[in-house]
Amino acid sequence: MRVLLDNFSKSFGTTKVIENMTLEVGHGEMLALLGPSGCGKSTTLFAICGIHRPTGGRILFGDRDVTDLPSQARNIGVVFQSYALYPHMTVAENIGFPLKVKGMPGEDIRKEVDRISGLVHIGNLLGRRPAELSGGQQQRVALARALVRKPDVLLLDEPLANLDAKLRLEMRSEIRRIQRETGITAILVTHDQVEAMSMCDRIAIMKEGEIVQIATPAEMYNDPRTAFVAGFLGNPPITFLRGVMANGAFAIPDSEIRVPLPVSIAASEGTKLMLGVRPEHFTPAGDIAVSGKVTFAETQGRENLYDVSLDGGPLLRSIQPVRHDVNIGDAVTWAIDSKGVLVFADDGRRL
Amino acid sequence: MKSSRMLGLIMIAPAAIMILLFFLMPVVLTGVFSMTNMTTATGISGGAYQIAPHSLNDLKSTMPDIAEQMSQPRYTIDETGLKAVEGLGLDAGIATELRAKHMGEVFKTRREAERMIKGLDQGPSTTQVKQISEQFNRSVVNSRFSSRQELFTALDTLGFKLTDAQKDSIAEATYTGWNWTTENFSRIVSSPDMARVLFNTLLYVALVLVLFNTTYAMLLAIWTHYMPAAPATIFRSIWLLPRITPVVIYVLMWKWLAWDTGFISVLMGKFGYPPKNYLLDNAYNAWLFVILINGFIGASMGMLVFSSALKAIPKSQFFASEVDGASRWQQIRYIILPQMRWPILFVTCYQTLSLLASFNEILLSTRGGPGKATEVWSLAAYHTALNNYAGNLEYGLGAAMALVLVVIGIVLSLFYLRIFNYGTLVSRPLIED
Ligand SMILES: Nc1ncnc2c1ncn2[C@@H]1O[C@H](COP(=O)(O)OP(=O)(O)OP(=O)(O)O)[C@@H](O)[C@H]1O
Ligand SMILES: [Mg+2]
Repeated sequence: MRVLLDNFSKSFGTTKVIENMTLEVGHGEMLALLGPSGCGKSTTLFAICGIHRPTGGRILFGDRDVTDLPSQARNIGVVFQSYALYPHMTVAENIGFPLKVKGMPGEDIRKEVDRISGLVHIGNLLGRRPAELSGGQQQRVALARALVRKPDVLLLDEPLANLDAKLRLEMRSEIRRIQRETGITAILVTHDQVEAMSMCDRIAIMKEGEIVQIATPAEMYNDPRTAFVAGFLGNPPITFLRGVMANGAFAIPDSEIRVPLPVSIAASEGTKLMLGVRPEHFTPAGDIAVSGKVTFAETQGRENLYDVSLDGGPLLRSIQPVRHDVNIGDAVTWAIDSKGVLVFADDGRRL
Repeated sequence: MKSSRMLGLIMIAPAAIMILLFFLMPVVLTGVFSMTNMTTATGISGGAYQIAPHSLNDLKSTMPDIAEQMSQPRYTIDETGLKAVEGLGLDAGIATELRAKHMGEVFKTRREAERMIKGLDQGPSTTQVKQISEQFNRSVVNSRFSSRQELFTALDTLGFKLTDAQKDSIAEATYTGWNWTTENFSRIVSSPDMARVLFNTLLYVALVLVLFNTTYAMLLAIWTHYMPAAPATIFRSIWLLPRITPVVIYVLMWKWLAWDTGFISVLMGKFGYPPKNYLLDNAYNAWLFVILINGFIGASMGMLVFSSALKAIPKSQFFASEVDGASRWQQIRYIILPQMRWPILFVTCYQTLSLLASFNEILLSTRGGPGKATEVWSLAAYHTALNNYAGNLEYGLGAAMALVLVVIGIVLSLFYLRIFNYGTLVSRPLIED
């Protein structure tokens, strides 16, 4: 089912959190709401599920205006960040709760609970209480409870935040699999860009209550609209060089570094610019050589990560296949791949 | 492991001492008193032996002969009597002759004694005979002996030849102090008055507890939980007033409401009803007021305990249940109440015990009346042991009643722990040893 936020605003007293946000999530789509802490992701999610009433605008599920409907009437499934399992009920009772309050007969509830717990692989835990489960198991129970009533929309508020790295990886694909299998429309709130990129069809990046850009993960990575978006996506993150326009090239004053820019970038001579260089575009294989000193080196197993302090002071980050000939303090001359750089105006706008 | 045990013991030591001093000691003393027949009459220290008319009456049933003899005067020719005779200013030969011939003789009746005196060589006149015999009257009725030893020495010199069993009965019947006895309990068990008081108590505790201390308190907690913060606080404060008002003033306000010059009378007067004391008018009204007075006080505690327990339930559980489609009623039924077992147990237990023991509101309002309609156990114990119109305070019986109350309290607590499944409520300690 399509979800549409139409000119949605939300303020708490005098604190305006969201102003005039418009966001559409297509039927069967999984969308990530990605942004730093405090930008209003949970607020948006709570408005969609009816816990917060919007102070302005409309919320539509399909063609139905649900703005003034209470949560109970919206048919949504929510996985809360803290899971919010009912501690006094067993796993089976937790999962069956949405059906029980609907008045479904016990026999049918049991069948549904069996079906859904099979889907999330917790069939053997049905008799336990939440306190007797691991974090990952609790997370699956919460997911099962959200799914059991066959909701129109599934909302996930940082569902993986409490899990360890391995479990997080596992659950990422698990949730995506279930979402695909059920064909449900889903919104995932997260501040982890890896999660957003790996799980979702599209990402909406939020900053201070506004959506900065909505796009597929690949589009957003390759074609960020602002420096904020570029900085948010990618791990290890992009680095920025500050400089000016000089003779059709990006130049850092008081240094040798010149990066020729495409002619499409129209900026007058001397305009301040920011050059975004992703780590994979600063390697020995690039075309514009720069020299510097390695200030940080880290191996990630398959790849190595280096911070290189350029002569002028600015920092570039490089990611390369594992090698053992470069150490901290070494002077290196590597090269920027001029086709991979992203050019931003001084205020962060992409040029 | 050892050191944590030790630390635990040290930490509970102050509380343990307090419990010993202020709980166990009174209970033990109550137990001791309850096994006696102490009253105002016996006093609480030891007593004396007094052959009072009522003790002779008691003895009549078991040993009629001896009782009869003891109630009669006795005449013994002894040194004291002789001295007294000498002091009468009669012929000195009379005393001398009595001392020489009859010293130590005991006469069972006045007539026998006087016959002997008449027969003396000195031949006193009839008036003198009466005068003389009077000096040897050694009646035991109303004489008082400070010990058993003295009592029986005296009886022995008066010529009573008693078996040990007879001595025991006499000592018992004439003792004015308290005795060890289990009679208090048999009185409690068999008395219809006590049964009535017990019924009143159960009615009182059950109604106040169920209607106000738990149900209404829970309603208040849930209402205020769903209210906006400011009105909720005001509402809670209002319900706290009965608790924080001094009880004398609080009950006085109820009396103003119910008296024949009070609010209800004035109001009903407008509709042509004559004024009356609605509080003590009849038993039903008295009960209504007793329950309201205590209920309004008791509701606040449950409200506070339940409110804070409600606050401790994470908000997200309420959000989740709403999203899951639960109506407010279902939220209360399936989310709130099941997580309230421990506070409900606590309030039920605590309030049962305090209702069982408290009587000041009833004492101040109805004094247990009209008649004994609202007399509850603790009030009856108070009336029996500490304050009643008759003036004979029965400490022993009162203590026995108090002890019964303690036992009822303990039994009820154990029962509550059982039905609330205490074992599953207390989680295992986080630190294992
Ligand atoms: N009930 C509230 N009253 C006042 N301000 C609030 C309330 N709830 C949230 N806010 C404010 O709204 C802003 C957005 O909060 P929100 O919870 O949506 O952030 P978020 O994006 O979910 O952050 P996080 O990633 O840390 O969960 C924050 O600045 C927060 O202080
Ligand atoms: Mg949040």
